[in-house]
Amino acid sequence: MTRMPENSSQPLLAVQYLSKFFGRQLGCHDISFAVSPGEVIGVVGESGSGKSTLLNCIAGRVKPSNGSVFFHSSAGMIDLCRCDEALMRKIIRTQTGYVTQNAAQGLKMHISAGGNIGEKLMAGGMRHYGQIRKMALAWLERVEIDPDRIDDLPATFSGGMQQRLQIAANLVNAPKIMLMDEPTSGLDVSVQARLIDVLRKLVSGLNLSMVLVTHDLAVARLLCHRLYVMKQGEMVESGLSDQILDDPRQPYTQLLVSSVLKP
Amino acid sequence: MAPRWILKLENIEKDFVFHLQQGTRIVVFDRFSHLFFPGRATILTGPSGTGKSTLLRMIYGTYKTGGGHMWARRRGRPVDIAAAEPAMIYTLRRDTIGYVSQFLRVVPRVSALDTVIEPLLARNMELESARKKGRALLERLNIPSNMWHLSATTFSGGEQQRINLARGFIAPFPILLLDEPTASLDLKNRRIVIDLIKEALADNTCVIGVFHDPKDHRDFADHTIDLAHMLNQEVIQP
Repeated sequence: MTRMPENSSQPLLAVQYLSKFFGRQLGCHDISFAVSPGEVIGVVGESGSGKSTLLNCIAGRVKPSNGSVFFHSSAGMIDLCRCDEALMRKIIRTQTGYVTQNAAQGLKMHISAGGNIGEKLMAGGMRHYGQIRKMALAWLERVEIDPDRIDDLPATFSGGMQQRLQIAANLVNAPKIMLMDEPTSGLDVSVQARLIDVLRKLVSGLNLSMVLVTHDLAVARLLCHRLYVMKQGEMVESGLSDQILDDPRQPYTQLLVSSVLKP
Repeated sequence: MAPRWILKLENIEKDFVFHLQQGTRIVVFDRFSHLFFPGRATILTGPSGTGKSTLLRMIYGTYKTGGGHMWARRRGRPVDIAAAEPAMIYTLRRDTIGYVSQFLRVVPRVSALDTVIEPLLARNMELESARKKGRALLERLNIPSNMWHLSATTFSGGEQQRINLARGFIAPFPILLLDEPTASLDLKNRRIVIDLIKEALADNTCVIGVFHDPKDHRDFADHTIDLAHMLNQEVIQP
């Protein structure tokens, strides 16, 4: 378990009554929750339960049909679904990171590892080449990638390395919240353990908040303070991670928890 | 003047409904009340399945309480665990309620020493002082120093149990919950754990424990609650 932040009175992110329909198809329905600074929230549920749709709405990648996504800023809480498009883009770009399951989608595969990090730094306003390279090296080290690989293309990296590179590229501009869609799926377990360890250290070291979408309950227990359980677009149960996993109340959560094979 | 309680259970209720098993409902606690005091050890007894571990997990906030109140005094002020928000449960776990379970939940790649000192770091203790304290406790619990920097994943059951105990005793808690902490230990290590418990009691900790072997608690137990005699458990088939 990652460490819980001391003071969590003022939420960083508040989702309210959020719904998304794709035509007549329901993505997610009437979802509300808040995330405090330094808090890690897990959204669990089987494929097609609307977890990724919810995450994409928060990330500004999908426009919600209804509801609000409030983000804390110096000017108070701003509703990303109602504010000016340029402001929304700016908040998303500077305050959030987005990590996808498929690292190839989150990285530019034809530019070097250092380039992937440097590009983000330049987008954040940094111009000095030496400085950019120095920071890229520091970040590679932080996510446990050999700095000697800085000039290599991500295509030559293993899946686990690509995923850690994607995380580094998202963190260089010091976002307040990371949105992660199944970051550990598709990795073998030893690689997963390393990624989880890197994430744990980053979260407690940077006071970073995280919304983690996963179907892996063991990963959820290890990383998340609180869990939300989704089924067919609805939020069916929420609570402390150990409450949800050790004392599930709803039939669907009981099914989810009891279906996991324990090695 | 009557001593001041540290934990007050007031008409607590707990049931489990198994939706996947035809909705079978098991009532474990039905308006159970009890007071616990600082510096006193209360031992929960009764055959397995009577709710000993359930009670510990309810106090720790892992199991939701169905009804009633569970007041824990935190820095002099009562907090109702049964109604507390997640952030408050985390706060209680950081500075008020400690819990040693039967099994260590091992995190891969985290060293035994770092596993042990986590509760100190959560209280913002500086890393080197925390490690110094951790090393001393691991030494006392007879974990060889060449294992301290290894992940506990490959440790034996008894070694993992001692890592778990070190983690539970490294930081003082006003309330300490112990769920069979001596179960997989040899005699020598049991005695060390019993000494640790006695020291915590002398330090005014309220100890609530479940012990497999009555010999382990006979020289410090102040009070026992026999859950079997409460006859409060019923299984309801719909």
